[in-house]
Amino acid sequence: MTERALTVRGVSVRLLSGGDGPALLFLHAAGGAGRWLPFHEQLARRFTLLFPSHPGHGGSAAADWIDHISDLAFHYLDLLDELRLERVHLVGASFGGWIAAEIAVMASHRLKSLVLIDPVGIKVDGWIYPFLFAMELPQLVATVFHDPMNALALAPADLGVDTLVELSRERAALARVAWNPYLYNPLLKRRLCRITAPTLLCWGEHDRVAPLQCARAWTAEIAGARLEAFAGSGHVPHIEEPARAAAVVSEFCAGHEEGR
Amino acid sequence: MKFYYFHLMPYPLEHDEPSSWVTFSNRHYDPQVGHTLYNQYLDQLEYAEQLGWDGLCVNEHHQNCYGTMPSPNVMAAMLVRRTSRARIAILGNGLPLRENPLRISGGRVISGFVRGIGPEYYSTGVNPSHSRERFYEAADLIIRAWTEAGPFPYDGRFYRYHFVNPWPRPLQQPHPPVWCPSQGSAETVEWAARRRFPYLMVFTPIKRIAQIYGEYREACERNGYTASRYQLTVNLPIIVAESDARAYAIARRHALWVYHVGLRMSLPFWQPPGYTTEPSLKRVLTSGIKLPTELTFEDLEDGGYIICGSPATVRDKLKIFSDELRAGIVCSGMNGGSHEKTLEMMQLFAEEVMPHFREDAGVDETAGVGR
Repeated sequence: MTERALTVRGVSVRLLSGGDGPALLFLHAAGGAGRWLPFHEQLARRFTLLFPSHPGHGGSAAADWIDHISDLAFHYLDLLDELRLERVHLVGASFGGWIAAEIAVMASHRLKSLVLIDPVGIKVDGWIYPFLFAMELPQLVATVFHDPMNALALAPADLGVDTLVELSRERAALARVAWNPYLYNPLLKRRLCRITAPTLLCWGEHDRVAPLQCARAWTAEIAGARLEAFAGSGHVPHIEEPARAAAVVSEFCAGHEEGR
Repeated sequence: MKFYYFHLMPYPLEHDEPSSWVTFSNRHYDPQVGHTLYNQYLDQLEYAEQLGWDGLCVNEHHQNCYGTMPSPNVMAAMLVRRTSRARIAILGNGLPLRENPLRISGGRVISGFVRGIGPEYYSTGVNPSHSRERFYEAADLIIRAWTEAGPFPYDGRFYRYHFVNPWPRPLQQPHPPVWCPSQGSAETVEWAARRRFPYLMVFTPIKRIAQIYGEYREACERNGYTASRYQLTVNLPIIVAESDARAYAIARRHALWVYHVGLRMSLPFWQPPGYTTEPSLKRVLTSGIKLPTELTFEDLEDGGYIICGSPATVRDKLKIFSDELRAGIVCSGMNGGSHEKTLEMMQLFAEEVMPHFREDAGVDETAGVGR
């Protein structure tokens, strides 16, 4: 894995990348910036994995103008242009899945395949996402993970002032686009029918942020979308069952190398 | 020195819930008790004017037992008609919390502009990462609406109107004095100093008050003028009784409630995302300032968060604020443990303490400041 900084329309982005093969862009969940984990390592065996930190997260500078989820989608289309990548496999987890879905409704033709891991981003009838911004750490961990020990993968290296300020910057960047409406764009659900890229939904069976019933709302809107459930996972199967998640994602993306 | 009577209108309930804000169920609120409390609290404010207080302060907080005035303008409106002399200070209206910040009040009013504290963003749903920008924009819009003839269009980032044209126009010209209650963020100090808005330090240790007053005075000089003492105000609870021992006993029982129960809340509520700028956050993290629930009685007493003692002791401690910090206005609430005891405490203060600080009796503290 290598790390570099690049500038995308004036925004300084921290980019991790590794492996070779077709390009696969991974969009991380909140709290996952800059964490190169076994899931990424395994994907990098078949793909060139590109893992940028969202603006304001994990070493990427905050950008004042980012005020709506579509700003982030455009930012990543700009990043693809900057890297001269015409078409990629796109994988997003949770908040990153929301951004990935926004990109897909704008520019499905840029995607060879789309993988959404427990995405948020749409309003699901009968479900209100629990308000993570109000939670202290123990409750947050219990809500996000099936096995709380798995949260150690995301534990900060220290709790010094600089680290606390960086964590605060990430929360602020997230709140900027996700505070209210909380974790969704009211316009997105209606637009999901525009997605033509082959789509896989990966979902933790014990997800308490967006339970499995949310998955059905996504599969109902995206033609041909396939659902893969993870019996040992909460909201983040790529962290809780990394080997299987990476295998499922690799196989799906490799099977759609030429796109639909 | 001028004295303003400050009321939080708490619902003084003991409980073991982790937070007194946002999530503390309103099933704990007994409307009959609330009815009695509101009347007692308004009686106390009216009594304060009779006893010689110069101003009466109300303030805005939402969904908690710490302060039950979600709509301070309603309380102010009641007080305006029941009093005749005292300033009515609304400290303040939570500007960013409003969808439409255009509200008008008139007469003896002092208009405090505040952002609202952290938990208010959880109660109202307003995005805390917009708080500061919304605050500046709402303040700008209100001042323009007060001072420019309407109608005019306003096309801000958060507030947009084709016709800004409020009826009535304010009685006070060019507009009611504006105060800026705050906890000392560098950005707010600079903003208030530039606009000559008096700066009110709320529930802050005396060392930090001295530091922030210094920064405010410097900022005024940078902006080409010297701060009037009436631009430097402080909000601190005062507990006075016939003897030090008696005052300490009352304070231990009743003054601690504000910090240990009233201001008890989880960390996310204190610090909603994006509410605090990074420089201010660094300042808080490195200053070692304690959360209210971590403060012992000795911290409050030694740190100068509260003033407590016999009339003679209270006079000595207040002299530090008037002579060393050169604060021009002290806003304080009192709690004797019951309505009657509170009235007695107010009377004792008015008779034994206040007269010793009246060298500026003839001065209008609102002249030339706050606008």
